[in-house]
Amino acid sequence: MYIGTSKLTHTYWPGTPFAADALKNISFSVGQGTFTLLIGPSGSGKTTLIQHLNGLLKPSAGEVYFDGKKIGPDKAALLALRRRVGLVFQMPEDQFFSETVFDEIAYAPRNLGLDEKKVEERVNRAVAQVGLERSRLLDRHPFQLSAGQKRRVAIASVLSLEPEVLILDEPAAGLDPEGKGNLLNLLSSLNRAGKITIMVSTHHLDEIAALADNLVVLNEGGLVMSGKTKEILARGAELKELGLALPQVTGIMHELAARGLPVSTDIYSLSAACDEILQAKRADQR
Amino acid sequence: MAALKTEIIIETRALCYSYAGAEEVPPAVAGIDLKVSRGEYLALLGVNGSGKTTLLKLLNALLIPSQGEVLVKGISTVEAERVQLVRQACGMIFQNPDNQIVATTVEEDIAFGLENMALPAAEIRRRVDQVAGRLGLTHLLRQPPHLLSGGEKQRTAIAGILAMQPACILMDEPTAMLDPAGRRDVLETVKELNKTEALAVVHVTHNPAEAAEANRIVVLEQGRIVADGKPGEILTDLKLLHGLKLQGTVAAELAHLLRQRGLNLPTAILQNRELVESLCISEPVS
Amino acid sequence: MSGGISLGHYLPGNSFFHQLNPRIKVPSLVIILATLFAVTSFPALLTMIVLVFLMFRLARVPFRYLLKGLRPILYIALFALFIFLFFTKGGVVLFRLGPLTVESAGLWQGLFVITRLVTLVLFSLLLTLTTTPLSLTHGLGYFLKPLGRIGLPTEEVVMIMAIAMRFIPTLIEESQRLMRAQVSRGADFESGSIFRKAKNLVPLIVPLFVSAFRRADELAMAMEARGYRLGAKRTRLHEDVITATDWAVLLVVLVMLAASFYFKL
Repeated sequence: MYIGTSKLTHTYWPGTPFAADALKNISFSVGQGTFTLLIGPSGSGKTTLIQHLNGLLKPSAGEVYFDGKKIGPDKAALLALRRRVGLVFQMPEDQFFSETVFDEIAYAPRNLGLDEKKVEERVNRAVAQVGLERSRLLDRHPFQLSAGQKRRVAIASVLSLEPEVLILDEPAAGLDPEGKGNLLNLLSSLNRAGKITIMVSTHHLDEIAALADNLVVLNEGGLVMSGKTKEILARGAELKELGLALPQVTGIMHELAARGLPVSTDIYSLSAACDEILQAKRADQR
Repeated sequence: MAALKTEIIIETRALCYSYAGAEEVPPAVAGIDLKVSRGEYLALLGVNGSGKTTLLKLLNALLIPSQGEVLVKGISTVEAERVQLVRQACGMIFQNPDNQIVATTVEEDIAFGLENMALPAAEIRRRVDQVAGRLGLTHLLRQPPHLLSGGEKQRTAIAGILAMQPACILMDEPTAMLDPAGRRDVLETVKELNKTEALAVVHVTHNPAEAAEANRIVVLEQGRIVADGKPGEILTDLKLLHGLKLQGTVAAELAHLLRQRGLNLPTAILQNRELVESLCISEPVS
Repeated sequence: MSGGISLGHYLPGNSFFHQLNPRIKVPSLVIILATLFAVTSFPALLTMIVLVFLMFRLARVPFRYLLKGLRPILYIALFALFIFLFFTKGGVVLFRLGPLTVESAGLWQGLFVITRLVTLVLFSLLLTLTTTPLSLTHGLGYFLKPLGRIGLPTEEVVMIMAIAMRFIPTLIEESQRLMRAQVSRGADFESGSIFRKAKNLVPLIVPLFVSAFRRADELAMAMEARGYRLGAKRTRLHEDVITATDWAVLLVVLVMLAASFYFKL
């Protein structure tokens, strides 16, 4: 098991009248190098689950695994885990505290105790990874950047840990269409070219579903489905019942298929939809 | 005959606004003439920083014009002694549901605006109960805000505005932080109010699917209006939208791709239904 | 997930004590506390204890909340007992410990003082367990009103306190989130010298302030957009009505106080 959980349960405020199970008996795992989406309505436990994968919370019951080993309670092991599994929180630019973009990105490697030369190398690599190397913004104040730039700096400030796994919580929240598009390209290239295992928690499947190998679906703290993207998205009716929407393109393909056009319905991106429809139309003609 | 029927709720004349200390850079709002009539549902589209939020704040007298003027029901927003009338006529919903709920329970939050209007307690009670019933919040009246879902928080905010019996509701990306179910919840509520109460709506959004629900779209760029028309005209004009780094609806984008690849499709495809319809009867590939 | 965070110890409920008007509850507590200091005999004090336990039963507060509420005063109580045991002389010598003696007067007085302290805390606990912080604020605000005459903005003070309470759960949640976010970037908030610890807190405190100011800004805007103006006349949804029951409760505690004086209990 590369990264995952076994019978993980998390209870907030145990022993009080407010006690609530945020996670109930969750078992799942994903392989190295994969791209996984963690989906579910608000309050379904997504954020709690990914914090467990980073060893930030203590399980009330069950275990969390990374690289075949149980994520243990001892501090050294947790530190080692966090340098290999990076976590980008929701609205991560809210964590900015430094005077310059450079210091912000250097925070994590400095915490690792690296010398300044190595820190600088890591900052430069991280900035290049998120595609900001030519913008000469390392000396600027983080608050002066645009929304899209801030988000990328926030991601760079985790990439500077040089993690093998990158987990992101609603990474596109609050961005306009251009910012969103840039972000998805970044995640795709980190996964494909950078060989980083990616896990994204989100409740909007549009566009991003096309990048994902696996889907894990949570509802009210329980795991309701998990498997290949294609298998899960074929269960559109169940997803809809959970208040989740299929990607809009997929919806169009379903309608076309229902009207008798010979198209497959496991299509999640505009370009794939375009190819599929053209092929079907041509076949139709013959 | 149209002139007879339509009542103008909001009118701006040569409206300009510059933020203090930023006089040299182009103004945030740079000469906007806009009229909003009773019962109109207007979507404001534009990238981050195009002046949408500033315009909204000017309409509610949260900002006072640097030049030009805003008239709400004929009252200029610079008339300080009548600003209460402007705010009562033009309520505002903000993006972050957490930062606009003032009180510690839902009912007290709905009552907040009415308390500011110094209405008698019995009248406040009557209006709170009526509005809560209308928006399906009755069972939540005693709940503290931090136990509500995002959609419920936004509906509470809408209820608080509605209780003041406004003529227009201004919304600044009200669904940006909600999951699909919460998003549907809020949009359906607002659409219904727009239809049955002839409430005018000004809705700032990035989401083309949301904008498609309006009956008029105004597109902003650098503080100016660059397009103004029906959703069927604006959201299918992909040359315009892409030039502004915006997107059309998924159906419009897909139709655009298919047209580029030689499929013969009408230009005015906005909704999925229209695309499916034309694909199932459309001409053969040329 | 801040479902369990609440200020003070308020326990939601619908009992007799939950429904009393805070404008009566607060002075009633003051009178009861005065009575506690007025009584000098063990039987009278025990009556008060029985009374407070009965009241807890009536308010349907589980017993463990009482223990939880008493925990903070445990050490003070033990310290007080120690002082009385060894330093109050009189009566029979109970036992000797080197040069120190424990005498019966010290034991009695120590027990009396501790019992009084515990009773006092229990009565106060009953108030905070059955009154939301918000209505407590409004209750206290009422007694601040006279200060309005000398120019103090009492209405605004109450509004500020009410909003602070509204945002405490939000800010607690936010600080937890920030702490975890920085820990996941390798921060260490636990080890090192005091100086080092303080320095390590910068990545926590700076963003917390930035966000608190942004929230304040947005909230001020939302309040203004809904017609809030400083110093303007406002009404309230929940008009503060003092019922016959409220007056009766006040009367009962006053009689208790008077009795304790008159009969020198």
